Amino acid sequence: MRSFLGICLSLPLAAQLTPQQKQLNIDSFEQVWTTVRDHHWEKNPGGLDWKAIHDEYRPKMDQANSMEAARNVMRDMLGRLHQTHFGIIPANVYNDVDVAAGEGTPGIDLRVLDGQAVVTRVDSGSPAEKAGVKMGWAVTSVNGKDLAPVIEKLKADPNMHELTLERAVAARLSGPVGGRIHAEFLDGKDQKVPLDLALEEPRGSVSKFGNLPAQHVWFDSKNLGNVEYVSFNMFLDLPRVMGRFGDAVGSCPSCDGLIIDLRGNPGGIGGMAMGMAGFLVDKQDQKLGTMYMRDQTMKFAVIPRQQVFKGPVAVLVDGSSASTSEILAGGLKDLGRAKIFGTRSAAAALPSIISKLPNGDGFQYAMANYISEGGKPLEGAGVIPDVEVKLTRKALLEGHDSVLDAALDWIKKQRASK
Amino acid sequence: MIRKIAFVSFVAAFSAIADDALPKADTILDRYIEVTGGKAAYEKRKTEITTGTVEFAAQGLKGTMTHYAEAPDKSYSVIELDGIGKMEEGVINGTVWDKNPMLGPRVKSGEEKAQGLRAAMFNSHLNWRKVYSKVETAGIETVEGEECYKVTLTPNEGKPENAFFSKSTGLEVKRTTTTVSPMGEMQVEAVASNYKPFDGVLEPTKVVQRVAGQELVITIQSIKVNPPIPAEKFEPPAEVKALMNK
Repeated sequence: MRSFLGICLSLPLAAQLTPQQKQLNIDSFEQVWTTVRDHHWEKNPGGLDWKAIHDEYRPKMDQANSMEAARNVMRDMLGRLHQTHFGIIPANVYNDVDVAAGEGTPGIDLRVLDGQAVVTRVDSGSPAEKAGVKMGWAVTSVNGKDLAPVIEKLKADPNMHELTLERAVAARLSGPVGGRIHAEFLDGKDQKVPLDLALEEPRGSVSKFGNLPAQHVWFDSKNLGNVEYVSFNMFLDLPRVMGRFGDAVGSCPSCDGLIIDLRGNPGGIGGMAMGMAGFLVDKQDQKLGTMYMRDQTMKFAVIPRQQVFKGPVAVLVDGSSASTSEILAGGLKDLGRAKIFGTRSAAAALPSIISKLPNGDGFQYAMANYISEGGKPLEGAGVIPDVEVKLTRKALLEGHDSVLDAALDWIKKQRASK
Repeated sequence: MIRKIAFVSFVAAFSAIADDALPKADTILDRYIEVTGGKAAYEKRKTEITTGTVEFAAQGLKGTMTHYAEAPDKSYSVIELDGIGKMEEGVINGTVWDKNPMLGPRVKSGEEKAQGLRAAMFNSHLNWRKVYSKVETAGIETVEGEECYKVTLTPNEGKPENAFFSKSTGLEVKRTTTTVSPMGEMQVEAVASNYKPFDGVLEPTKVVQRVAGQELVITIQSIKVNPPIPAEKFEPPAEVKALMNK
């Protein structure tokens, strides 16, 4: 997911197009327009006169003299829908090799807290850990460029999702595997700490799913004082992640509780939410929500597994929890099966697929609307936590994850009340 | 697998079909059997192993499929899809089951079970009267550029299906069905082409299935007729057996 969010900030050089390339762009435009016409869940997509939209943008596409100009015409047209999960992914990003070339990371995760890019996780054994970077440190500049003006500018855009903002900031700390970045941090005493950090392969195993760019997928599970904690960065690598999730839940049937940490998880394969819920819900004929396509509906049914965890379940979300994360968290909340902790999720939950365009670019489009079991769409609204808890730099510097702590406290109280 | 998707072929023989009147559904179904090889050719079959590929082209997902079938009603299919894993389903002794990495093992019941049993019936085309309580010709429609008879088939249990048979060749071109699953009812359209002979019977080797705005292309690479199939091939996995014993 990170791979194609980087496109928001990329500025490819404009190159003159051959007549063949121009035609491929026009063919791509027509495919994009036709796909929305035929597959959008509303007969009038976004309430628009879609034919009029075609007639407005097609002359602009005829005039587009560079790949980026052509993409911008298609992006502008899709932007008129004002819906997430509609986008054009440049071929160089869409292509696995190029994606991998920019995926090097120093091994930290970031969140923007009170206008600062704050380290929320340091991967074990990573260049950042070896250099002494700690949770709660703030990144102030990368390769000589201050982050504050970038964050301020991005935050000022009302259309900027928290997910996109954080990925955009994180992208500044990434580069080719084997490369290096020079970053300046503020430590726990607000002292400047300049560091040269190597960029390594992201942690996790590389997973390929259809037309999605290859992604590094990791899954963590651990026991926190008789509470099972699971976290994974994407709903991909289905056989491994579903297997690990089932093993983690099944390994602790008598645990006091289960915590599913979906913070920063941008989603993936929607059906995995159904499969995971099956380990947590023992009642028959339950569903997380319903997907509405133009002529059909599909229930996100929960099929109880043979062994179901029956204890308290806490789900952690934040503004970077999107799509399948929201389907799972929202559905479990609506079914009364989980308590949600953290901050409001990304509100970007439309089921989508990515297809290849004639010009080589990828085209992501939503083909359905999704209504959570509580009767509300997640798109635009997100999952509202039962217990709102914000991460703070202060707590992180003290070694505390306030959201996780709140969930652990709640589980402890559940046990005590038994 | 291919049968499950829609190509339950049909029975018996008949001859001239008048151009100016709709033939009876029985006649159309019988003609299908005749043009694809005849009753005797079907009756020689006792087991089958079908192999092929599956592809969600728009999403770039590819995989392989193998289907084992044994008369009168044993079936086991496995699809291995990149990024998803191994999806299995089977029918044995009246139990219909499936298992996949996403939802785990399941034993089907109700209308979904009836649908599975129908799909698993070996040579179901020869026994269509056992499967469908009512068949009727509903009209003529052009499908994939071909004029076809539309036949509505109402199963003993479940929603009616529509099958479209080419007026000129008698071959089945398309079938629309309503499939039932825990996810709800879904309209499925399957278009068949590239019929090729396998041990005296014509079978479609390309099936394009459209469901929920997505398109799946199934390409049959081989159909072995009457190969030995070990009994354990049809045995459900342990997780399914545990559910059966519940």
